[in-house]
Amino acid sequence: MSDGGPGPDRDGEQADPNPDDSWQVRADRALSRLVDASAAERVLISLAALALSVVVGALVILVSGWVATCDSPFFSASGVGSFCYDPVSVYYVLFKGAVWPAYNVAITLKETTLLLFTGLSVAVAFRAGMFNIGTQGQLVLGALGTALAVLWVAPVVPAGIVGGLILIAVGLLVGALVGGLWGAIPGALKAYADANEVITTIMLNFVASGIAFTLVSEVFKDPESQTVQTRAIPEFAKLQPVFFDTTVFSMLALAGALALGGAIYWMLNGTSFGYDLRTSGVQPEAAEYGGVDSERMVVSSMALSGALGGLGGAVYVLMVASRWRTGIPALGFDGITVSILAGNNPLGVVPAALLFGALKTGSLAIEFQLAVPKQLVGVLRGLIILFIAMPEFFRMVGARFRFGDDEPAVATDGAGETTTGSDADDRGGDDE
Amino acid sequence: MSYAEPSRKRRWLAGLAALVVAALAAVELFFPASPVGEIVAIIDANYVRSVLRLTVPIAFAALGGIFAEKSGVINIGLEGLLIISAFTSIAVAGVISGGTPSQFQLWIGFWVAVLASVLFALLFAVICIEFKADQIIAGLAVWLIALGLAPFASKVIWGQVNSPPVATLNNFDLLVVEANPPVVMMLISVPAAWYALNRTSFGRWIEASGENPKALDTVGVDVRKVRYAGVLLSGFFSGLGGAGLALGRVGQFIGGGATMVNGRGWIGITAYLFGNYNPLGAFGASFLFASLDALQIRLQQLGYNIPSELIGIIPYVTVVVVLAFVGHTRIPAAAGDHYESGEE
Repeated sequence: MSDGGPGPDRDGEQADPNPDDSWQVRADRALSRLVDASAAERVLISLAALALSVVVGALVILVSGWVATCDSPFFSASGVGSFCYDPVSVYYVLFKGAVWPAYNVAITLKETTLLLFTGLSVAVAFRAGMFNIGTQGQLVLGALGTALAVLWVAPVVPAGIVGGLILIAVGLLVGALVGGLWGAIPGALKAYADANEVITTIMLNFVASGIAFTLVSEVFKDPESQTVQTRAIPEFAKLQPVFFDTTVFSMLALAGALALGGAIYWMLNGTSFGYDLRTSGVQPEAAEYGGVDSERMVVSSMALSGALGGLGGAVYVLMVASRWRTGIPALGFDGITVSILAGNNPLGVVPAALLFGALKTGSLAIEFQLAVPKQLVGVLRGLIILFIAMPEFFRMVGARFRFGDDEPAVATDGAGETTTGSDADDRGGDDE
Repeated sequence: MSYAEPSRKRRWLAGLAALVVAALAAVELFFPASPVGEIVAIIDANYVRSVLRLTVPIAFAALGGIFAEKSGVINIGLEGLLIISAFTSIAVAGVISGGTPSQFQLWIGFWVAVLASVLFALLFAVICIEFKADQIIAGLAVWLIALGLAPFASKVIWGQVNSPPVATLNNFDLLVVEANPPVVMMLISVPAAWYALNRTSFGRWIEASGENPKALDTVGVDVRKVRYAGVLLSGFFSGLGGAGLALGRVGQFIGGGATMVNGRGWIGITAYLFGNYNPLGAFGASFLFASLDALQIRLQQLGYNIPSELIGIIPYVTVVVVLAFVGHTRIPAAAGDHYESGEE
């Protein structure tokens, strides 16, 4: 795929200026440039972006510690002021808090499981050439569908393992279905009306949470509760813990999520549907010459992406919350970072989700032990995306300083293969 | 440049929108559960005034987006710039005054917030222009950083994601009406932006930088500088919008969920697409979205038996519907592409 990229890409560039070009065509072209980078380079860029985010994050911690007031600053100097937070110990507590005590390992794996679903959701859309920022809304509605379906079916199944299996199957199915339908909406709007999916999916997030909130508060509210939430699903319908003695994490769900990641990888790389999907993402025109119905491909890949988000919502209900409730965490937005960090590779999503699961768990520890707001992870989330968006920066740094063995390897790799080649092509197109 | 087809569609759509608004008003008029007096009170001078205030963040974001995208840099981080400036305005006014800022201190907060937004936009510009970052992902990152940074900093300063309330900027007497300062700035900025884009050489450079950077380069104008100017202007306008929202209307920073900006930057992008990159059209679209927003706020205040969360989605649904109609806009030919001068 990366070999075939630059040639047709260049043709696309030179076919301009086409007066009918939309926003979208250009965004797609920009995307394909990212997808073209070679795998090894992508891993290096992700690692470099992570490292740089940690450094900039440390600066944010220092500055915020300078602003904050506390009894015992870790460092103070006259004329400079006092610093409340020590970045080194913040990072130390952040990572220690993700694995210690043992219960926190379960929390980390819980977050990892949920992020696997949302990360895969974003990755599938990305590979098809679309930004699905709407995973959050798909997850919220999928969770509601799951909770309602399980509550509805529960009275007619026997309590116990068999009934539990039926309920879990129903819950997962309905969650995926609802999420998929909600995801298909921006897909259809893009395919048939050329509406930019970045904006429609973000708008539909607001709409999804408004609809879910209204449905629950007006129709499906737990009559015994003060807050807006549905009744709890029966205990036997919950995904059961296997190794850890906790009510919020199930090894089964993690195993299922990992298997799903493998399945998506196989689908993308081993099936003709996956090939069509990837081709549509990199080079829509070429895909269409190859006989792909591009409109249908847009809708079905967005539906698939939405279904994965909906599954995440289903697992959130079946494993964590036991019900639909307000304040569902921003798993969909974290999924964007997970996917981009993973280079939108379904296998890469696994370590990225684990890293982010650890960050989210550790953030509770830094707030609890060091009084550093847990929203720090939100800052890191944005920084990581920012740095991954600028691979050229790392190439420039690598080319200028040539430090270590790894960095020049990036430059030479790029020169020999696709990346610098496609840059040169861009240049040629512009200078013409 | 043949705009005939899209513009006819747009005119038709604008007519449709007006009809919808009229139909909504009619439905409200005949809404059984309400005294007529309350209903008539929905659309009056007060309503228009509140719509104008709600237009401020949307229209400023849209103006900024026009300059950036026309110059060739798609800035989808406008939402993030609004969040940064809304937060900064309240934080600076609160910190320098120790809690109850005077009007003068509010104005300091206002302009520092604009500066913060411009600096953020500068960062975005450097990343996009110098480091050739993917503009869409970088814009997304600007939004997500702001979405994380503002509540983080709120907790550092105030111990919670929301600030304590502060005063808002005083209205002043302008001829016969009581004028809200950010609204006045907006009403000046819109025609000024139109004039700058259509009647000055700077406007022609911006246009050329997005349409045909090579030509601009050939006549000796630095494309990079023009693009920097476009992006920085988007930061400047978004700064006015965010600070205007926080200090002109709300008087507090709210950092929970999607923050107090609540998608208005994204609505601003839709507004300028709807307005076909024309500041006047973008203002009209912003006004339309804001009037829906004001309508839902008013309906909630009147206490109709409709769930407020459901009314609250009206503006967002409208944005999706509008995008479905005008999604296929003709963007500047070179927007999203990097440009490298041949001399380098």
